[in-house]
Amino acid sequence: MADRTAHVSWSGSLTEGGGTITSVGSGAFGPLDVTWASRAEESDGRTSPEELIAAAHAACFSMALSHGLAQSGTPPERLEVDATVTFVPGTGITKIQLAVDATVPGIDENTFRAAAEAAKENCPVSTALASVPEISLQASLT
Amino acid sequence: MPRIVREAEIDWEGTTARGNGVVRALSSGSFELASTIASRVEIHQGKTSPEELLAAAHATCWVTSLGSELARLGIPPERMQVHCTVTMDEVEGAGHRIVASHIAARAALPDASAEALAEAAAAAEAGCPFSALIRASATVTYEATLEEGS
Repeated sequence: MADRTAHVSWSGSLTEGGGTITSVGSGAFGPLDVTWASRAEESDGRTSPEELIAAAHAACFSMALSHGLAQSGTPPERLEVDATVTFVPGTGITKIQLAVDATVPGIDENTFRAAAEAAKENCPVSTALASVPEISLQASLT
Repeated sequence: MPRIVREAEIDWEGTTARGNGVVRALSSGSFELASTIASRVEIHQGKTSPEELLAAAHATCWVTSLGSELARLGIPPERMQVHCTVTMDEVEGAGHRIVASHIAARAALPDASAEALAEAAAAAEAGCPFSALIRASATVTYEATLEEGS
């Protein structure tokens, strides 16, 4: 079992005030500033829950795919994964698009696509976010 | 309603077990972080993981929901602190799964009662988009307390 933690401090109102992701359990990042404007309008160099979800999903998917490829005897040399999260205020997170560009010696296109699809279906972040209306995947080999 | 798009990427080299990744915030450019499978499922060793990023996302989402609910009740907060713990566990037959997220909130609310905070916190949990998403697959719990001296 693994617990991971984060702490946020916010001062003032939602639209006039602002917050800081002051620290995370690993110490790997923080402080990171967040504001409502940077979430709902231009990011202006500040992160947001949706960007953090994109980072979590990209990282989770890449681990699951590299694991799946190694299990079937074709470990990847390199995976580059993009995640794009779409948020509609008042509605919620409506869409996540994953895109992977991979270097995998000795694999054919169909086998690779099947491995990528399996990682998309089964990685822990995908299953945690399974209620997102649309999660799409674009997989290509280089 | 405007559609808001946020993007991140990871470059992963090598296998899961021995390789490593670098995760970047593409929309804001606000972070670039190392991650490995060992730092995810064992000791973090100063490296982040998907679950830690989700904890940061959930805490940030929740604090903005709480702030707007308090404002709706006419008690704008001076300061709010939200701590989030995301738990991943091995589930029989399903492998690793994110099983829980716990929110612990503290708010400095001049002239407001614990009851008012409890009402706002319940509405924040109901309205937080991230809570709504993961409630389908994981247990979401929360507690909210008035900050001492407020």
